[in-house]
Amino acid sequence: MSLYHIAQGIEGSPVGQTIRESTWLFPAIEVIHLLCLAVLGGAVLMTALGVFGFGLKTPTPKEIEVSARPYMTTSVVGILITGLLLGASEPVKLIDREAFLIKMVSLALALLFTYFVFNPIVRKGDTGVRARTAAGVVMALWFTVALSGRWIGFS
Amino acid sequence: MDGFVIWLAGTQWSIALHESLYMYSITESAHVMAIMLFVGTIMMVDLRFLGVSYRNTPVSEMTAKILPWTVGGFVVLCITGVMLFYAIPIRTWHSIWFRIKCVLLVAGMINAAWSALKVEHDKETWDRGPTPRKAKIAACVSLFVWTFVIVFGRLIAYNWTDCDQNQSPFVQQIEDCKAVPADT
Repeated sequence: MSLYHIAQGIEGSPVGQTIRESTWLFPAIEVIHLLCLAVLGGAVLMTALGVFGFGLKTPTPKEIEVSARPYMTTSVVGILITGLLLGASEPVKLIDREAFLIKMVSLALALLFTYFVFNPIVRKGDTGVRARTAAGVVMALWFTVALSGRWIGFS
Repeated sequence: MDGFVIWLAGTQWSIALHESLYMYSITESAHVMAIMLFVGTIMMVDLRFLGVSYRNTPVSEMTAKILPWTVGGFVVLCITGVMLFYAIPIRTWHSIWFRIKCVLLVAGMINAAWSALKVEHDKETWDRGPTPRKAKIAACVSLFVWTFVIVFGRLIAYNWTDCDQNQSPFVQQIEDCKAVPADT
């Protein structure tokens, strides 16, 4: 079974069909996807700017990460759910698009790097070169995810 | 305004931007990236004003350190927003979503001005403590308004409320469809 057949299966599923055939369902899910992106952008920026010293300094970047984390995690969950639904409505079209491939790879990297590298470094209270490098990488990764995501619609 | 948007649509740069392979997409992408900067940061400041998050950070530090990023995002949004309007003036002007978005945009700016001038003027007295009611009201209005600015802004892209799609008299009235030139 090829990727194409899997995509065809998803496209023909009740979920895929319902979203594709509805006038307002796709835009509605897309709007929630975009709102989650805004919240995620804010949460990542708060933590990363704090580490860079361009944002909040009080109390510490470590505690700012604790404040930002619920918003980061909630928006990531929201982005994944709405993203899966959007993808389910037109998977055959998506698997051939370069922007979609770039987005999926950068998304996987962004998730892994945020939760297994960046957040743990900040939680340890590190604000040195290592933490700043990680903050730069995290911002660049999420930036790539958002940009390639937008580009799916243009390609 | 109708004459203006028709004139705008006929200008060389508007056509060039609309028909360009990359420039329109780049502008639209920059607009979305700036949403993250603008709404993402203003939401965090609002959450501090509500007393929900960042409670150990003084309000004055929140506004001094974070709001410049918010303003930067807003500037990019205005520039790219004007460019997007300029690329497709007639259709955008007659979009119900664009019109609602503009009303909300003005409401959001009035709320931000009220917040900066009236709400925050005595913020030294509540810098570290619980925030007053007026700060919570301003934050709620801000969260509501900017959320729906995104919602309605995103909906401009879909054509199901366009004047040429057989709209109800109510939508036609709001979109002022009578003023749309026949050849667009």
